[in-house]
Amino acid sequence: MHRGKGMKFVGDSRISATKTSQIPKDYSEYPGRTEAFWPNFLLKEWLAGSVFLVGFLTLTLVHPSPLGGIADPTNAAFIPLPDWYFLFLYELLKYEFASGDYILLGMLGLPGLAFGALLLAPFLDNGPGRRPGQRPVAVGMMLLALASVVWLTYTSASHVDWEARAEMDKPIPESEVAIDTEHDGYAAYEASCMSCHGGNLEGGPAAPTLVGIEYTAEEIADIAVNGIGGMPAGIFTGSDEELEQLSDFIMSVNESTE
Amino acid sequence: MLQKIYDWIDDRVDITPIWRDIADHEVPEHVNPAHHFSAFVYCFGGLTFFVTVIQILSGMFLTMYYVPDIENAWKSVYYLQTEVAHAQIVRGMHHWGASVVIVMLLLHTLRVFFQGAYKKPRELNWMVGVLIFFVMLGLGFTGYLLPWDNKAYFATQVGLEMAQQVPFIGEQLKILLAGDASIVGAQTLTRFFAIHVFFLPAALFGLLAAHFILIRKQGISGPL
Amino acid sequence: MSDKKQQVSRRQFLNYTLTGVGGFMAAGLLVSPLRMAIDPVLKDSASGELVNVGISVDDITDVPTRIDWTVEQVDGWYKSEPSRSAWVYKDGNGDIVALSPICTHLGCVVSWEGSDAHPDHFYCPCHDGLYTKDGVNVPGTPPLAPLPTFEQEIRDGMLFLGNTIDREGA
Repeated sequence: MHRGKGMKFVGDSRISATKTSQIPKDYSEYPGRTEAFWPNFLLKEWLAGSVFLVGFLTLTLVHPSPLGGIADPTNAAFIPLPDWYFLFLYELLKYEFASGDYILLGMLGLPGLAFGALLLAPFLDNGPGRRPGQRPVAVGMMLLALASVVWLTYTSASHVDWEARAEMDKPIPESEVAIDTEHDGYAAYEASCMSCHGGNLEGGPAAPTLVGIEYTAEEIADIAVNGIGGMPAGIFTGSDEELEQLSDFIMSVNESTE
Repeated sequence: MLQKIYDWIDDRVDITPIWRDIADHEVPEHVNPAHHFSAFVYCFGGLTFFVTVIQILSGMFLTMYYVPDIENAWKSVYYLQTEVAHAQIVRGMHHWGASVVIVMLLLHTLRVFFQGAYKKPRELNWMVGVLIFFVMLGLGFTGYLLPWDNKAYFATQVGLEMAQQVPFIGEQLKILLAGDASIVGAQTLTRFFAIHVFFLPAALFGLLAAHFILIRKQGISGPL
Repeated sequence: MSDKKQQVSRRQFLNYTLTGVGGFMAAGLLVSPLRMAIDPVLKDSASGELVNVGISVDDITDVPTRIDWTVEQVDGWYKSEPSRSAWVYKDGNGDIVALSPICTHLGCVVSWEGSDAHPDHFYCPCHDGLYTKDGVNVPGTPPLAPLPTFEQEIRDGMLFLGNTIDREGA
């Protein structure tokens, strides 16, 4: 670069009037076979990126992003679960040494220690050697932490009945539920089911929604009499004719939402 | 024509050295997958940035439909999922990208760790990187609530409960995040939206800039 | 070195002044936004009144039953009538016990005999927390404290419940 006397500027600005070269540097003869970032290296990087993008877009097309039912703060039957990358923390809190009197250990101690060590890794592992074999303690700790996170995540996820969760949490827009109070079965619904399943079949603290269920009329009638899951048997006490009207009514509401 | 426009600007602003510096810096062979296929591990950082770009773009477009209000948040997401052409794909990109970016970050972190690439003189850049990891987790946590469905709502409630257990400042921390002492509701959603869309991205941009400037200054770590 | 008095150089003075002016600008810019952000922390939370939960005292047995009722809730600009729940029963002395179903571990919802493996206990499905019938946490399970009770009152034979009262751990 030109410095000192004889420098020329563009007008009264501080821009140098001497042009820098627009031809890329030639790295072909450099020792160690380096190459220019643009465009040589970036082309390879972007080829990898393209392959990645195709895979990523395929994922988004094959698995549409899930949306559950609208949040209902009073839905006590819903078991909370964090997003998958927080599952290991959630699982950790199940253990006795990480909850109860030791809650601080589980909540802050262990994760704090782990994340603190991660943040300060260059100072904890400050020897000159870079190969994994030259720093067995750091590498060992990392492998241990990694194994525990994977194991905790796996244990947590394997306890969850994902299909039942999705079933419980279906997206149903309220307005589309048409309740025909003139229906023959409505009286039976009102008498036996409404206190738990709600006036619009939306469910409540003690019972799930009846909209979007995938049962046949016979199965609904059977559940009304014999119960299912947390629902005890014998809740429905009417005649067989009323039972048929009731299941017919629940089916008709479900059909009206489709 | 384009060349003329470029020359006209370059005459006045001298932009050539700015991009030449980025374009011409040499990339060593040992990070180049074209030379050794095993060098693909060096792609994780770039791919993380790529997913971050996807997240920023898809997120910007999602806010064209999304409303951060407890009455309408879920409805707006449901509407864009079911009624708007291609919106399901855009939301899919944002939803899956949020997971993929964590995976990529993890892989990138592990690459750097097992190669010992954080050692002198690159300690600072490692710490900036770990902070980026935390910001990403924060973006994941705040973004999870926004669709306002059951799994989002209850996960957030548990998350806030955890924040409350922090000694001394737990209660205050929880209220600061939730906007109310006992309710996870309207004020929580607007707060999470603000944090997710403005505060954390601002922090992320600053940290990313620092990360890249440091890489350009120090160069990539040598082969093992 | 000379024994001249330590003097503030012109550059130092300008640096201090610049920092001061910068601090003034930052403070002027941030005071109101920060105060606004932390407002909920400084606000007193409004305490609720006792509400008729719609169950008459005579209907309460010695088996915990879940009752649901609604309260008026103001969340900023959003008014709603969310439902509340409690497990109520009569203890040995015939006194009414109303327990909050919110697990003291991480806020999941417990249910009476919610697990077949633990009869006569309140069970939390999230982390396998257990409480005895009087709501006291079983040591060795995740919860730290007993289930909160409710402020309660009996008016005209009906049960009225108010805010929850936290209890000390077992």
